Amino acid sequence: MKLKDCHNFEDFRKLAKKKLPSPIFHYIDGGADDEVTLNRNTSSFNDYDLVPSVLNDVSNIDMSTTVLGEKIDFPLFPAATAMHRLYHHEGERASAKAAEKMGTIFGTSTMGTVSIEEIAKVNKGPKLFQLYIHKDRGLTDNLLERCKKAGFSSMCLTVDTVVAGNRERDRRTGFTTPPKLTLGSLLSFALHPGWTINNLIHEKFKLANIVHMTQKGTSIDKSVIDYINEQFDPAMNWKDAEYCVKKWNGPFALKGVMSVEDAKKAIDIGCTAIMISNHGGRQLDGSRAPFDQLAEIVDAVGDKIEVILDGGVRRGTHVLKALCIGAKACSFGKGYLFALAAGGQKGVEKILENMKTEINRDMKLMGCKNLGELNRSKLIHRK
Amino acid sequence: MNLKDCHNFSDFKKLAKKKLPSPIFHYIDGGADDEITLNRNTSSFNDVDLVPNVLRGVEDVDLSTTIFGKKIDLPFYCASTALQRLFHYDGERAVGKAAQKFNTMFGVSALSTVSVEEIASLIDTPKMFQFYFHKDRGLNDAVLERVKAAKFDVMALTVDTITGGNRERDLRTGFTSPPKLTLSSLFSFASKPMWGINYLTKGKFELPHLQDHVSEGTNIATSIGDYFSTMLDQSMNWKDAEKLCSQWGGHFALKGIMSVEDAKRAVDIGCSGIMVSNHGGRQLDGSRSPFDQLAAIVDAVGDKMDVICEGGIQRGTHILKALSIGAKACSGGRLYLYALAGAGQAGVERALSQYRAEIERDMKLMGCNKISDLNRNNLRYRKI
Repeated sequence: MKLKDCHNFEDFRKLAKKKLPSPIFHYIDGGADDEVTLNRNTSSFNDYDLVPSVLNDVSNIDMSTTVLGEKIDFPLFPAATAMHRLYHHEGERASAKAAEKMGTIFGTSTMGTVSIEEIAKVNKGPKLFQLYIHKDRGLTDNLLERCKKAGFSSMCLTVDTVVAGNRERDRRTGFTTPPKLTLGSLLSFALHPGWTINNLIHEKFKLANIVHMTQKGTSIDKSVIDYINEQFDPAMNWKDAEYCVKKWNGPFALKGVMSVEDAKKAIDIGCTAIMISNHGGRQLDGSRAPFDQLAEIVDAVGDKIEVILDGGVRRGTHVLKALCIGAKACSFGKGYLFALAAGGQKGVEKILENMKTEINRDMKLMGCKNLGELNRSKLIHRK
Repeated sequence: MNLKDCHNFSDFKKLAKKKLPSPIFHYIDGGADDEITLNRNTSSFNDVDLVPNVLRGVEDVDLSTTIFGKKIDLPFYCASTALQRLFHYDGERAVGKAAQKFNTMFGVSALSTVSVEEIASLIDTPKMFQFYFHKDRGLNDAVLERVKAAKFDVMALTVDTITGGNRERDLRTGFTSPPKLTLSSLFSFASKPMWGINYLTKGKFELPHLQDHVSEGTNIATSIGDYFSTMLDQSMNWKDAEKLCSQWGGHFALKGIMSVEDAKRAVDIGCSGIMVSNHGGRQLDGSRSPFDQLAAIVDAVGDKMDVICEGGIQRGTHILKALSIGAKACSGGRLYLYALAGAGQAGVERALSQYRAEIERDMKLMGCNKISDLNRNNLRYRKI
């Protein structure tokens, strides 16, 4: 299997599995508990049917939309995810360059492995920074100020990670950051020499945005679960979120809102957008899928705040279905991370290109010339 | 597995798999993206239950119906499908003759491998031609005139292939028309030598309706998805369809209508029928299945035009369920294509005879003597 044979999510996943030591692959691939929510995130799309219109002259399709104050070429962007250099030695540099090339927003995480400043150098397009509130509040201010200075276009605060989810695959594989050789994982690292060699010969792995503030996760082997539980502030509340919104003073999103009530509060504190998300099924298993919850949230707040669907997106038709319900755009994590692991920048470009092609094709088959023509009359819930 | 062991859809599929080089088998068998719609097309029938009536005196059952002004002996027909000589060297000749034997309608594709003139000389059962609206208007006019001269009964314009579907099996196998030997498909062609010998010795592969106008598909190997995307006119709109309808001047259908609104517009532009179809799950994955959508469309236009339910049909009971909802008839592609690949005309005849026997048996078990006895009182939706 090679990059050119990757036609869909599952292909990229297979290639990533081939390339990555198994603890790292399973860190991306896994979810919380029994992964019921992880699976539902994707299968929820299959309970809805698209109903195409025909004979509508689709020779020109406009897939562009404006989200978080930025016009993007198509309604999908790579969500902010942690630790790209674990997956490919180029790390966030690769994904950032790919997103710019494909004309969409790039999201980078507090837990990124390439610094805010360096990302701003390699990506001149719209950039989103994803913030975790640490117990050390000085760190929050520092990150907000650095992002502003580096020219990031929008900020998002993750609110579904006050404690770590029960990611049992990580317990079994002994996944830590930076990766730690254990007797159990030794064989898996040895079997993926390409990854291991790249990891050793390129610059030292570090959580580049917070390295100066904390030693955890940088030089001391930590499981992500332990890191979250020790460093993130579980006392975080709406006042803290409002503080960040004000301090940022630009397009701001809350990531991980699932209830209508919280969506309304997000408007009250001045957010531009919410990301309906359960953190890719990695936090509370048995919780609702973003797509299942989307209509309720759009009905309540869709005219006052941008609603972004995050989670389970693997196909162009998934994006179309979310937009029919009223989402402004979608974001995805696992898909492009597998692609990053599979082929670095080229891999991420390929999956974004595939998704863009799918959305274009699917718009034509739906008989829609622009995203505004997607609405609920074109989608039937199969009960 | 031999023809005599084929008792149902899945048996024919197994036989076809045995006979065909794998790129060709998967071209027939596959759908778009994750094949969710392809599978739903059939599974949708299982969410609705038949409720039989008893003691109705069912020794004689009349299976005939009238569509597009033509009486046919069966409430289903062979949908137009492309490239049949790739599946069996007799191609459309075999399917046409089998359809004639059972007095049902035969659909011929613009991408057929036997000419309308030859088909018209072979059979006199009702014939439908399936039209693709090409960028080349000269081609469009020429095809329409040929079909008219060959005295076909119905013209169907396909409206759901404005661009090629994402048929990933074809991407993997490298399927093209005409077939191209690649290193990866070599083994699969070599392992089915009879197919290869027949392909090379039983007459040159041609697309007689198109080859005078375009090289793609005959002299230039192209995937069907690419053919749709590059050769068909993506600006096609309702005015074009209306013009074509009046240019034809006879029974005219739109194939691939899924929305109620489009069904109503089809009535407005003068169509006498529509095929509720998603192109066998080969175009937009995640789109609705014809059977799921049938009731809404029949309610809106069923009294004004013939509504044909196309897609997912693998059993006589599937046809009974669609007719109960109000379809005038059903049609299908795979339901005879595997049989064609498996055994040519004899295969198609065996498949048609089995569907006929199933429908007749099922009508008796339902307590119905004629198609019009079937109605929605015979059906219950299992989920609300």
